[in-house]
Amino acid sequence: MKHSFKHFAVVAALLLAAGSAVAQERATILAGPELTRVVPTGFYFQGLSAPTQMRNSAAARFGKDRYVISGLVDTSGYSADVRAKYVGFLITDSPITLNGESLQPGAYGFGFATEGKLTVMDLAGKDLMSVSITNDKDLRRPRPLMMTADGGGVRLYNGKNYIVIAAQ
Amino acid sequence: MRQQIVSLVCITFLVPFAVLGQTPPKKPESQQPMGGASTGAPATYTSRRTVGITDPNAPVVFEDVTDKTSLASFRHRSGEAAKDYIFETPSGGVAIFDYDSDGRRDIYLVNGSTSAAMRGKEKAPRAALYRNLGNWKFEDVTEKAGVANERWGFSVAVGDYNNDGRADMFVGNFGVSRLYRNNGDGTFTDVAEKLGVARKGWSTGASWGDYDGDGRLDLFVPGYVQIDLANLPPNPSDVNKSGSVGQNFCQFRGAPVMCGPRGLPGEGDTLYHQKADGTFEDVSVKAGVSDPEKYYGFSSAFVHVNDDKLLDLIVANDSTPNQLYVNKGNGTFEEIGYPSGVALNENGREQAGMGLAVGDYDNDGRVDFHITNFSDDSNTLYHNDGDDNFTDLTFQAGLGEVSIPFLGWGTSFLDFDNDGWLDLFVVNGHVYPAVDAHQWGTSYAQQALLFRNVKGKFERVGAPPGSALANAWPGRGLAAGDLDDDGRIDLVINNLDAKPVVLRNVAATTGHWLGLRLIGDVAKKSPRDAIGSTAYVTTGAVRQRQDVVSGAVYCSQNDMTLHFGLGAATKIDKLEIKWPDGSVETFDVPAVDKIITITQGKSCKSC
Repeated sequence: MKHSFKHFAVVAALLLAAGSAVAQERATILAGPELTRVVPTGFYFQGLSAPTQMRNSAAARFGKDRYVISGLVDTSGYSADVRAKYVGFLITDSPITLNGESLQPGAYGFGFATEGKLTVMDLAGKDLMSVSITNDKDLRRPRPLMMTADGGGVRLYNGKNYIVIAAQ
Repeated sequence: MRQQIVSLVCITFLVPFAVLGQTPPKKPESQQPMGGASTGAPATYTSRRTVGITDPNAPVVFEDVTDKTSLASFRHRSGEAAKDYIFETPSGGVAIFDYDSDGRRDIYLVNGSTSAAMRGKEKAPRAALYRNLGNWKFEDVTEKAGVANERWGFSVAVGDYNNDGRADMFVGNFGVSRLYRNNGDGTFTDVAEKLGVARKGWSTGASWGDYDGDGRLDLFVPGYVQIDLANLPPNPSDVNKSGSVGQNFCQFRGAPVMCGPRGLPGEGDTLYHQKADGTFEDVSVKAGVSDPEKYYGFSSAFVHVNDDKLLDLIVANDSTPNQLYVNKGNGTFEEIGYPSGVALNENGREQAGMGLAVGDYDNDGRVDFHITNFSDDSNTLYHNDGDDNFTDLTFQAGLGEVSIPFLGWGTSFLDFDNDGWLDLFVVNGHVYPAVDAHQWGTSYAQQALLFRNVKGKFERVGAPPGSALANAWPGRGLAAGDLDDDGRIDLVINNLDAKPVVLRNVAATTGHWLGLRLIGDVAKKSPRDAIGSTAYVTTGAVRQRQDVVSGAVYCSQNDMTLHFGLGAATKIDKLEIKWPDGSVETFDVPAVDKIITITQGKSCKSC
């Protein structure tokens, strides 16, 4: 009996610890001063720095201190070719997944040059990965860019289209 | 640690900006063209979709009578034909109003200017005031009236700010704006400096309204872009000149064009509160309407968005979100553009807001908005659902696909056929002359669009070949009003670098109508010209609503006489007026097919 109780206690403790870890990784959408503190006012991409559209920026914190930051930029300084493929940036300080595909820590550009896809690029404009976007036709008040909680991760929206970002 | 990494990343990316901020280049690297928020999907077309669209079976509803009037001699001028700079492209407005109180609607045309005129090197273009003599005769009274402006004009908003029964004009300029006080003897005096509304910068579509219920009109003026004439952005005319190598010119579909507004600093907005002594104070920040984000403001209107008695405020912004300010009744506003749905289109996209129509197009008792946008993007119809909620019904209402090739400016809800449903008129014209050199499916001069309202759905009214609607103009400002007292709404369009257009409504099949001139009771704290009033006209099962609005359209002013089409109805079942002070009165209307004057607190026996 004693042995069974010990076993139960160990299992319960493990479960609690696991639950705690999951809770720590749960995403918090940042707002107000917390948001402006982490969003850069400008972003370098393919030879030019461009101002962030601060009204169209969003960030999430995973657990205690892991951040994913995204924003649209004013691409007016770029050629039409770059503007066609690049609309904003994605910064992560820890490994994440985009729709289940891994993305290592770093700073990236992204855009929607391919119909139905969000393409992530390195800072030189080289395509790194493309993930399918999902249309949320019932979203009532879409924004050019925003994040909302999605289970343990977040949805990164561009209008009514979104991808899911989760901590790895 | 991770936060430190994020901070480091941010700092790394911020450094170039910090450097730029410390040593700003004489010319910006480059900017995004006006309307950078449009979809702009590159496409090649075999024909232009903005000119030459005609229907031989369509009836003529508007006749171009410009050349029969003295307005034919007016020439708008705004910079050079190449349009190297953004300030050369969006002028100018037009007003229809009765300045001499003779019962006939007169016309004021805003003019632009030139860089040389700004430097005193050449004579400045002049605005013009035309007195309506009746029978389509107009007399140019600009000189006598003293309203030539001779500054780079953009907008005009009419309001009787001093409650003396005479219509005054605020003229918004790139430079110092003017307030023309109507002296009542056919002359005006610029009192902007004296009264504290000589706004500097780039003032666009202003609106008068008594937001604080003290019976005195206040003034809201949107700001557009900050321009330093001594430090202009690169211009497309320099592309092939020596020394221009390396400059990163602004582009539209790969072609060099003028820069802006994106990439150029925006300008905040200004709310002037009128004090008891008749002077104005800038209360923009205190009231919460200063636009600290400095969006590119183009059009505005004070109007009742909800059912309280407080005037709300809408601002249409270019390439940035529109703003809707709900009046909290304590001298401040709450901006609800995003939660209300007015800031963006249905897909959550910022658009290039230019003009603004205000009206209850579906006769549900609430004001709706129509905002014009850039080419390769649709104009947007915002339906007022009540409770400060709006829904973008552009495509459901039939206004989406048809508007995509057009770059829209002035827009007005008006019942051109007097059937009791507000139709829609839209003036168009591109900002880049370069579009005529490419197969982009659009053009510099563009046809206007007239939509017939069929119980809340819109159908484009065809343009018979050779008719006014078949013509293409570089349109900007638009004003509506019955210029010949025949019960049909006529139109005046101010065209960029061209003569204006006067459109006489000759629609054959029209219904009965009623015109209302409202006079508020100043003693009850309603402005005398009744701006902020709402009239409800009931005929049978249809209850129409119209509001007395200053401004809107695009930098322009419609006649403030409320015009109701009545269809087959020959009597008014009920006329209710909600006055600016919030009181509601009902009036008996003795007859239709005429304009009647209604004075607050007085019965309509003699009207």
